[in-house]
Amino acid sequence: MANKFKYGGYAGQRLRIDLTKSQIKKVPQSEEDCALYLGGRGLDAKILYDELPVDVDPLSPDNILCLSAGPIVGLLGPTTGRMNVAARSPLTGIYGNSNVGAYLGAELKMSGYDDLIIKGRAEKPSYIYICDDEVKVRDASHLWGKNVIETTRILQEDLGEEFRVAAIGQAAENGVLFANIMFDYWEAAGRTGLGAVMASKNIKAIAAKGSGGLTVHDPKRYMEVVTDAWRAVEEDPGFQTGEHSALGTSVVLMLGNVQGWLPVRNFLENYFEYAENVSAEEFRDRFSTKKTPIPGGRACMSCPNRCKRYGVIESGKYVGTKGGLEFEAAGGFGPKCGVGDLEAVFHAAMLANDYGMDAISLSSTIAFLMEMVERGMISKDDLDGVDLRFGNAEAMIEAIHRIARVQGKLGQLGSMGVDRAAKAIGKGAERWVTTVKGLETISTDPRVSTGFGFGYAVASRGSDHLRAHPVIEMVTAYRKVAEELFGSPEVCTLAKYGGRAKMVYWHENIAAITDSIGSCRFMHASYYALYPIPELMAKYGLRRGKEVHSIKYHEWISAATGIPLTYEDLVATGERIVTLERALNTRFGIRRQHDTLPRRFLEEPVANGPYKGAVFKKEALEALLDEYYDLRGWDKATGLIKESTLKRLSMRDVLEDLKQRGLLAGE
Amino acid sequence: MKILDVFPERCTGCQACMLACSFATVGAFSLTKARIRVVKFEEDGVDIPMPCFHCERAPCLAVCPTRALYRDKEIDAVMLDQNKCIGCRLCMIACPFGAIHYDGVNKIVYKCDLCFGDPACVKFCETKAIVYDTPERLAQIRWEGKAEEVAAAVKEKALVRR
Repeated sequence: MANKFKYGGYAGQRLRIDLTKSQIKKVPQSEEDCALYLGGRGLDAKILYDELPVDVDPLSPDNILCLSAGPIVGLLGPTTGRMNVAARSPLTGIYGNSNVGAYLGAELKMSGYDDLIIKGRAEKPSYIYICDDEVKVRDASHLWGKNVIETTRILQEDLGEEFRVAAIGQAAENGVLFANIMFDYWEAAGRTGLGAVMASKNIKAIAAKGSGGLTVHDPKRYMEVVTDAWRAVEEDPGFQTGEHSALGTSVVLMLGNVQGWLPVRNFLENYFEYAENVSAEEFRDRFSTKKTPIPGGRACMSCPNRCKRYGVIESGKYVGTKGGLEFEAAGGFGPKCGVGDLEAVFHAAMLANDYGMDAISLSSTIAFLMEMVERGMISKDDLDGVDLRFGNAEAMIEAIHRIARVQGKLGQLGSMGVDRAAKAIGKGAERWVTTVKGLETISTDPRVSTGFGFGYAVASRGSDHLRAHPVIEMVTAYRKVAEELFGSPEVCTLAKYGGRAKMVYWHENIAAITDSIGSCRFMHASYYALYPIPELMAKYGLRRGKEVHSIKYHEWISAATGIPLTYEDLVATGERIVTLERALNTRFGIRRQHDTLPRRFLEEPVANGPYKGAVFKKEALEALLDEYYDLRGWDKATGLIKESTLKRLSMRDVLEDLKQRGLLAGE
Repeated sequence: MKILDVFPERCTGCQACMLACSFATVGAFSLTKARIRVVKFEEDGVDIPMPCFHCERAPCLAVCPTRALYRDKEIDAVMLDQNKCIGCRLCMIACPFGAIHYDGVNKIVYKCDLCFGDPACVKFCETKAIVYDTPERLAQIRWEGKAEEVAAAVKEKALVRR
């Protein structure tokens, strides 16, 4: 199948499904949108911006669920299996989206579609079947009520093992607001409750298999760039330690405990006495099925990093538990809930996956309820007799079952996330929430990891690390480079603020690119294989070897698509995508006062660990916001976007729209 | 003489080999046009690469009525002469590994040709689950790997005793 689309790499079509009208349309991809927003996260945001009614109820048929795979998905470059899912979030009420690995994105593209745009609501439980030109909305009555693993297994048995499946579990059907969508059994489009949106459309699963081929603009140049990118990853000092491949994302759990940013008992403490018990090393030794001959787990498409784990519990109470434990689930069900029993943590994480719930929001909500019990804000009776205290592993597991089923008082309270639970509890419980813009905070303490913290305050989907992911502040080996890029001697010193605005600005722009083209966060943050960092490391004599290889996304995208891009264009494109998401959020009412951190992080000092006493200083946050808005060209007083910024970024249609709505800042 | 060999326990299931293969052979990235396949047992966390093994007494070659399939002496590989292939698919029936594929457009079969001695799949296998090397070297990789495991076990035991 030759691409008829102007640009290479793309499948060249959008697949539009209106479930209410039982309409399936294949429409040409938009040249203009691709040139400005690339694909994936960028195109999802553009489609929502253009088509989503501003006052849409997130769980009504009028919400739009977009799934997009970027232009380099399925094209052999390192980590190119990712796709993006977006809709208005039922959890936060603002722009919701989540990026996910696995293989479905490539199958969608090989079937001929870059984007899948789902509107309306099916009359009865259904699943979407995609196999090249054949697209059908099929009956899924036999799957409704089942969890993720069983649903996926049945579909693969029916359709063939080569079909890739994204499915929701019981939690989404029951209306849990942070229900997720699980891809190929184990990979989560986790955050912002997109599973609940999918359930509200009566869609149980999406199964795809494509037999087409994807071509690129300049094949010879493309292979050169991609080969360089593979070498850049292999030569990255972080990759070369082999730790991330051998232990998975959870490798940072012990580091966080030592560095003092690992949240313990809902952020009340910063040192976990049982950290070793729930560490990645312990998981490898006790449960991992792949220890030899090379340590390491499994991979998403074309990924050299292989951070996925796979393990099995072979005996005891949780016998039969299987899958992989990653850091946010380990940190959430472990330290954040005060649980030091790895079997329980592993089991809890796999229950969350199978029911289809975001491990971060779920564990945060349970940890919050635990704190409410400890503080006497709610009693055991308020939770139907479940003794939900910090460290009570059995109560945590029981809570997961009840939340997924929205069963009883505990189930109802837990299924709506931290903010709504706090409101329901009342009596001033809101003072202990750990959310930004309605989204629960991950397992990294913003009072210590201030770059992460500032990232939570401004992230377009609420308190989340993956919009920016400025890992560089934790890795002193990059100090010189980070100083040059972000202009402060404090860049690699935790609990300081120097350089954080520029740091978050740069990381956000690059992350917007990788999420949009379909590459993984870990290539530019965790590893720093991205141009110009390997070059800067070499300049300071911090790299061995004569030749320097780096991932040059601008050249990569150009060779793949034919869209000409320099490094500066690349950063500007990232900026454009972040600004588009801001425009979307502006329409949902987001202003400067929402770009903040909850009271806990601004006022309550860190209780222990090396940064005992630290808070995220309010005046530091305000100063960073001023600097950040200046960098972005957003208005400092309101947080609205300036007209000149939209002009500079060639976003004419957004400019006109915001002007009409009176949502544009003056100069 | 080198042979193509697989170490399934090293495979991460990333399918880069399949994409590299299809790009090298048909100039497009495709999973269905690849001559090597990775079978993913997702639920069990296991992935198995399935290439053509270029059997010494190749059943496909034996049943080919037009001698479209032949052995290349130089790289010791079972090759296909597309001009001679009549699309009877007997070779597909004969191959015990399903390593021969059918091209529904051109109505002939296609199979691995080891990229004429420089297999693309091997270049993009990050964990060296697919290796192209001499039989001696391949055996050595296996005995050394096993020896390392034994050494680790012996060392651990020695530590316990001490």
